[in-house]
Amino acid sequence: MSVTAPAIDTMPVRPVRASRFDSTWVLWIAIIAVLLFLVVSPFVYLVITSFQTERTGEFTFANYATAYGRARYIDALFNSLKLGAASAALAGVFAVPLAWAVARTDMPGRGLTRMLVLATFITPPYTGAVAWILLAGPNAGWLNRFYMMATGAEAGPFNIYSFTGLAVVIALYSFPYIFIFTTAALELVSSEMEDAANILGAGPWRTMRKVTLPLALPAILGGLIICFLEAIALFGSPAMIAIPARFNVVTTQLFQFFGNPVRVEVAAAYAMPLLGVTILLVLVQRLIVRRKGFVALTGKGGERRPILLGRWRWVVFGYAMFVAALAVFLPYIFLIQSAFAKAWGRGFLLDNITFANFRFILFEHATAAQSVINSFVYAGVSATIAVFLTLGVAYIVARRLIPFGGVLGFLCVAPFVIPGVVLAIGFYAAYAPPPLALYGTALILILAFTTRFLPVGYVNASAAINSLNPEMEEAVRVLGGSRLTALRRVVAPLLKRNLLGAWLLIFIPATRELSAAIFLYGPNTKVASVMIFDMSEEGNFERLAALALVLQVLTLPLLYLGQRALGRDFMLRRNAT
Amino acid sequence: MKRLGSLALAVALAFLPLAARADLNALTEAAKKEGELTWYVAHYTSEGAEDLGRGFTEMYGIKVNVVRTTAQVAYQRLLQDLKNNQTICDVFSSTDLGHYARLKAEGRLDKYVPENTPKISEAFRNFDPDGYFHTTAAGMVVLTYNTAKVKPEDAPKKWEDLLDIKWKGKVSTGHPGFSGYVGTWVLSMKKLYGWQYFDKLEKNKPQIGRSINDTVTALNAGERQVAAGADGSTLFSAARGNPLAVSYPSDGAVLIISPSAIMKGTKHPNAAKLFMEYLYTIEASKINAKHFGIPLRPEVPSPPGAKPMSEIKVIRPTVAEVEKGIPEVIEQWRDTFGN
Repeated sequence: MSVTAPAIDTMPVRPVRASRFDSTWVLWIAIIAVLLFLVVSPFVYLVITSFQTERTGEFTFANYATAYGRARYIDALFNSLKLGAASAALAGVFAVPLAWAVARTDMPGRGLTRMLVLATFITPPYTGAVAWILLAGPNAGWLNRFYMMATGAEAGPFNIYSFTGLAVVIALYSFPYIFIFTTAALELVSSEMEDAANILGAGPWRTMRKVTLPLALPAILGGLIICFLEAIALFGSPAMIAIPARFNVVTTQLFQFFGNPVRVEVAAAYAMPLLGVTILLVLVQRLIVRRKGFVALTGKGGERRPILLGRWRWVVFGYAMFVAALAVFLPYIFLIQSAFAKAWGRGFLLDNITFANFRFILFEHATAAQSVINSFVYAGVSATIAVFLTLGVAYIVARRLIPFGGVLGFLCVAPFVIPGVVLAIGFYAAYAPPPLALYGTALILILAFTTRFLPVGYVNASAAINSLNPEMEEAVRVLGGSRLTALRRVVAPLLKRNLLGAWLLIFIPATRELSAAIFLYGPNTKVASVMIFDMSEEGNFERLAALALVLQVLTLPLLYLGQRALGRDFMLRRNAT
Repeated sequence: MKRLGSLALAVALAFLPLAARADLNALTEAAKKEGELTWYVAHYTSEGAEDLGRGFTEMYGIKVNVVRTTAQVAYQRLLQDLKNNQTICDVFSSTDLGHYARLKAEGRLDKYVPENTPKISEAFRNFDPDGYFHTTAAGMVVLTYNTAKVKPEDAPKKWEDLLDIKWKGKVSTGHPGFSGYVGTWVLSMKKLYGWQYFDKLEKNKPQIGRSINDTVTALNAGERQVAAGADGSTLFSAARGNPLAVSYPSDGAVLIISPSAIMKGTKHPNAAKLFMEYLYTIEASKINAKHFGIPLRPEVPSPPGAKPMSEIKVIRPTVAEVEKGIPEVIEQWRDTFGN
């Protein structure tokens, strides 16, 4: 990598090796301190709380007895696990074919597909849930109305207010995680490996099965696990769909424990099984990744050619558009209709069109417009902190710079085991009261968002760093550069694209984060997601749709910038090859 | 003698405003220095709450942070604030009376009797004899229906009509675990007909939203046809051209008296007091009536289309019944309806 050479030439010769060592260690210690603050302390508080009697703080098992003392509560646990599994599996079915088609084949409309997946990704799950209530409400849902119109039947077949309905909606808005991880991995697979398989007599499908997909398997599994954890930690969609559908999941049950009377201790006890399940899953994923560890990106670029699909390319394209219709086209058509409607159920009539919903949320509502600004500011700060923090940790872990570095990596993934609702309470309990007294401040939201999205940052950063051959940094070290120089001048530039990708991957969900925000917002720090959730309580879908669309439209320029940056980087890499 | 008494009263009333006004002026000045207040509110719709908040800001230049949620969510937030020794909420306006009984017993409320109390309709005065919380809104849970799907003669006339098999898959309600209105309604139905009412209602597979105002959306969308809804939000939506109507049940519309109180330790005590006064002004009553709430001030006419309360049979549980009963029915509801 020629960029690094002149940079190192300009470095002054450092006389004392020890001082260089010190500065590195200071950084490592700082990272550890931050992780302790962000992850360990709220987590420890959570665990201790689960064994405490309210008020007196005495040791007790009573919380566990209460938390698991009712069939309804146990059902909710199993519902969450089932929901997570169903959503992740469905998301995989949506994502993997699309990722493969976009990254490795000559399917038409690859750019379009990528754009549509991104459109899906920036759609908050609860916005998607609302759109699907408009689409598949058992009586008034548009799909059912069209079905009844077409067949003359008394009732339509779709019912969003069901377990399946909820699983589909969650899958539709979490599959981009798998897509993004999988395409990133597939793009790193050089055609030479596939050529080798071809030369040895394997056809395109066999090559995909035996070479391409296994190479991407860690990424796919990583994505599946993230989808699973996302699904069990989601609060908004279940609150909107599962309540009318008459079943409970863990997050809605936790919300109840925080109700009247507030039983934080019971809630803490109730969160423990999720903790166990997730730790187990993370271990499984790590085993798989470790067994198949390979360096796919080296200093040399491999050639990457698309696989020619022939006639199949249209079939694959059709599938991509089908997924896009479910996730983007249909929902947005009816969200837009609703946002401009006096009453959404009255349909596309001219006298049903109004701008009043937008006027209300932008100018008449005391806090709606401010809530959008809050969301963007908090998300931006959180994403920046999280990206640099996780990059540091991933690097420490990958290069084994300190003993037991793996613990740090685990800490970064750990927040996923705490549903946002519980994470929020951990934060609340740990940092809301004096001495920090962060309750109701922007900082507590920012810190919670950072913690909540550390796993996304970490999975990304660590995948990126694992794909880097250490020989490039070793070159820096051999030439006398420090670890930090290597990080700054080699690792960061090489991973610029991944870092921006990771930033967007955190920023966008952070602008729509609800589960933690709903407990941490104060009157002056209300974020858009909470605003939308509050509006959903009253079923104000018209205004809710208007606010949701404003949020989406504001995300677009950022997305465009990001894509341009990503694209340019990508082009450079291609040209270099 | 009687005449003399009323004369004395009239004289007293003539002087009262002067004294009160002096107090209010001082209060206004002190409140303006505080500059803002935070209002946790479950009364009204979001739109109504925002309108009332804005009305206050226009009158006094004091910012109102309106935090509008359902009653139980507002209370949940409040309890967590208290747990963290934070006083963020200055004025608390729930629709669940039980909240006030508990907060008062725990010493969480500031005692303040608005100077404007004598000006509101007598029925709403002196709700709490000790002066810790005061009626600031009133509304009813009634039968509501979609006029495009249900003819007035077919509409349910009494609460038991909702149990008719013909409404299977067509009923909408809110959730007592969220809405104070719904909680009070459930409690009233349990009192009238026993819990069997809800065992039977469950067979009709009602769609359960959260806020009572959610029934308005369910009816408007045609997702459901009949509901146990709030008169105010339903009539407000009907006035905007939606196919909705209200049917006052013959076995009694459930009257919901919703109080407000100032939280002890508030950082904006004067703004909070001034806000309580404001809720008793003609201006606030007008805004309330615009959103089809029952105006507290007798000078403000009832919203068009709403029956005057004197012509309606109303029922309501006592404060003690609500305090004990709502947490119970929430649990029963979750057991019956699964969530």
